[in-house]
Amino acid sequence: MENNVSDLIVGLMMAGFGLVGLFLVAGAADVEMYIFGICLSGFAVLFDLGLIKRYHDRRDESRATARGNTHV
Amino acid sequence: MSDHALAEPRVVYNDAVVKKFVVASLFWAIVAFLVGCYIAAELTWPALNLGLSFSNFGRLRPVHTSAAIFAFGGSALLGTSFYVVQRTCRARLFGGEALANFVFWGYQFFIVMAALSYVLGFSQSKEYAEPEWHLDLWLTVVWVCYLLIFLGTILKRSEPHIYVANWFYLAFIVTIAVLHIVNNAAIPISWYSAKSYSVYAGVQDALVQWWYGHNAVGFFLTAGFLGMMYYFIPKAAGRPVYSYRLSIVHFWTLIFLYIWAGPHHLHWTALPDWTQTVGMAFSIMLWMPSWGGMINGIMTLSGAWDKLRTDPGLRFSVTAVGFYGMSTFEGPVMSVREVNALSHYTDWTIGHVHSGALGWVAFIVFGSFYYLIPVLWNRKALYSVRLVAWHYWIATLGIVLYIVSMWVAGIMEGLMWRAYDKFGFLQYSFVESVVAIHPFFVIRLLGGVFFLIGGLMMVFNVFMTITSESTERPREPLIAPAMLAGA
Amino acid sequence: MFIRHEFFEKNAIFLLIGTLVTIAIGGIVEIVPLFTIETTVEHVDGMRPYSPLELRGRDIYVREGCYLCHSQQIRTLRDEVERYGHYSIAAESMYDHPFQWGSKRIGPDLARVGGKYSNDWHYAHLHNAQAVVPESIMPHYGFLAETPLETDDIQSRMKALRTVGVPYTDEDIANAKADLLTQANPDADSAKLMGRYPKANIVPGNGHEVTEADALVAYLQMLGTLVNFADTSTERLQQ
Repeated sequence: MENNVSDLIVGLMMAGFGLVGLFLVAGAADVEMYIFGICLSGFAVLFDLGLIKRYHDRRDESRATARGNTHV
Repeated sequence: MSDHALAEPRVVYNDAVVKKFVVASLFWAIVAFLVGCYIAAELTWPALNLGLSFSNFGRLRPVHTSAAIFAFGGSALLGTSFYVVQRTCRARLFGGEALANFVFWGYQFFIVMAALSYVLGFSQSKEYAEPEWHLDLWLTVVWVCYLLIFLGTILKRSEPHIYVANWFYLAFIVTIAVLHIVNNAAIPISWYSAKSYSVYAGVQDALVQWWYGHNAVGFFLTAGFLGMMYYFIPKAAGRPVYSYRLSIVHFWTLIFLYIWAGPHHLHWTALPDWTQTVGMAFSIMLWMPSWGGMINGIMTLSGAWDKLRTDPGLRFSVTAVGFYGMSTFEGPVMSVREVNALSHYTDWTIGHVHSGALGWVAFIVFGSFYYLIPVLWNRKALYSVRLVAWHYWIATLGIVLYIVSMWVAGIMEGLMWRAYDKFGFLQYSFVESVVAIHPFFVIRLLGGVFFLIGGLMMVFNVFMTITSESTERPREPLIAPAMLAGA
Repeated sequence: MFIRHEFFEKNAIFLLIGTLVTIAIGGIVEIVPLFTIETTVEHVDGMRPYSPLELRGRDIYVREGCYLCHSQQIRTLRDEVERYGHYSIAAESMYDHPFQWGSKRIGPDLARVGGKYSNDWHYAHLHNAQAVVPESIMPHYGFLAETPLETDDIQSRMKALRTVGVPYTDEDIANAKADLLTQANPDADSAKLMGRYPKANIVPGNGHEVTEADALVAYLQMLGTLVNFADTSTERLQQ
């Protein structure tokens, strides 16, 4: 439960940062801002993908456990 | 399941994030030592600067300091604070997995981006606060989340008391937040440019910067690591903290006095005299709580001194406290105006910093990690205890070479700059002092290389420990933290 | 007393507030007066904001981390005054965002390096310090002379500085680019530039474009030259 709420809030926050990163790339006045923007949005995408993967891993695990219990 | 957990449901701690921080910390340790050795070599043989913008000393030096303080030290602090706060509060980290992972990856992202920005030529050129405004904002976000997790975990604790280590960790987190935000206040030249100008100028900027800079030492490199000391030394020694009262006095006086000491970085400058005097007075007073903390750490071993022979990890921690005592004595001495007239601007300062950074910070981390790693990864013991002993001796030798060569070089520079010949003229040109300290730069580099070799030994040892077979090790007993504190 | 400490040990929020109050005292007592005591920054004649080219030179100084090896702060000690010149006063860095006093002299202090060497010496020294001072351990900055100076954002830089208190006028900002080019061109009419930025040092340039080396030399050559200490009484330097 706590994990799901945490996933949602942090996931949305990161999506927001990913968007900020894209804006920074689009407007970048120097190379540092350009690189920072690209890396920020790349980081945000990877982080959110990780959240999705962990969510499914957890679900698979609990399903497997549930199945395991019925066979005992 | 061990048998004493029957009464109440066992708290499942979030150790995954702690493990990540431990691995990251060791990785950054090697980076920091390596870059440190390289820039020490650049000072010794300037051709190594290569004449390229990004490989010059001026751009690599912040990479070294940031990697050492914020990446190596910071990752160790965040990781151990998450470990300690869960154990001593008997509560899982507040905020769920995602928030903890955000703090880990967000912090690593900050470090990588900061290092990249320095070599690309973006630096505020404020010592230890080099990252530009956009990175400062990012770190602020990460740091607030860190505070949220830490404070949230304390608030949901199932222990009545907050353990002393957590006071220090908490003071470290909130004070660094205040320092970071105030010192980095800046106006960017546009929202799409990384370049900014500090809102403070000249003498005010100087004081704000050294209020920040000295308390980065006081709260990042001291208070945080004292939190580590107050948990891992009692744990490794199997003894309660020497004096509970002393830890109370130590905590409040240390945080009160430290914040005043910044102006000793600005003696004899355009900073008004009254500020310099206040800074000097408080720096000398600071000696007392520092040594109070040292006594509390070392005396915790009362009745367990024999463990120093058998546990080289504990030897690291205790030597660290010894170096802490030495640096916190040297510091007040150097903050006296007359001593500072000689020592300031010289390599003595560099030596002083490294006796603290290598002797105290790195050693307390090594000691804590050698205890923590088998526990975290559920191994019976480290891969090789003898290798830990070798690491200890080679690292200690490295520190001795480093600080002794810098003492000699620093005092020599100071004396040469103020030397007069018999006619009353300055005896030496500046560059003569540069030539004179060359041999000591070579010795310093050698000391750094020794320290790096020790670090590589540790990484190897840890790698072999983690990849070795997991043994069913009896889980560490759940000792109520109040027992640790309440002696 | 130690019994009452339980209060902090059992209330995380009060522990947090107690810590914040404890650390706030020292900072407030030391820092706030520096902004409020009027004499902290002395009133002396001659101080002016950086000219556009000097400002860009200073940006490069900041970018390259020169402060890591060169201080810009002559202390009130006999040997320093004899080696480097009059001790530094607070007014001399009143427009420095950020300050660059430094904390280590791997190389000599630069607070009054302006005018001590010729422009040519500086170009040669930046290009290859060992060619000029064989024992020097300074890195080579030859790439500065090969890098054209970014000049398009000069106005936004000056506006940002005005926001933090540097008294650039609308006229200064409007003429920024022209002033910048004038200072790197010995053949141009520099009367207006000199009117706005007295004692500015005209750098020779390479004839076709302004480089980063031009800006840095312009900056180095004005360091410590603005205040005329011969006309400044000691009383005026009291803080």
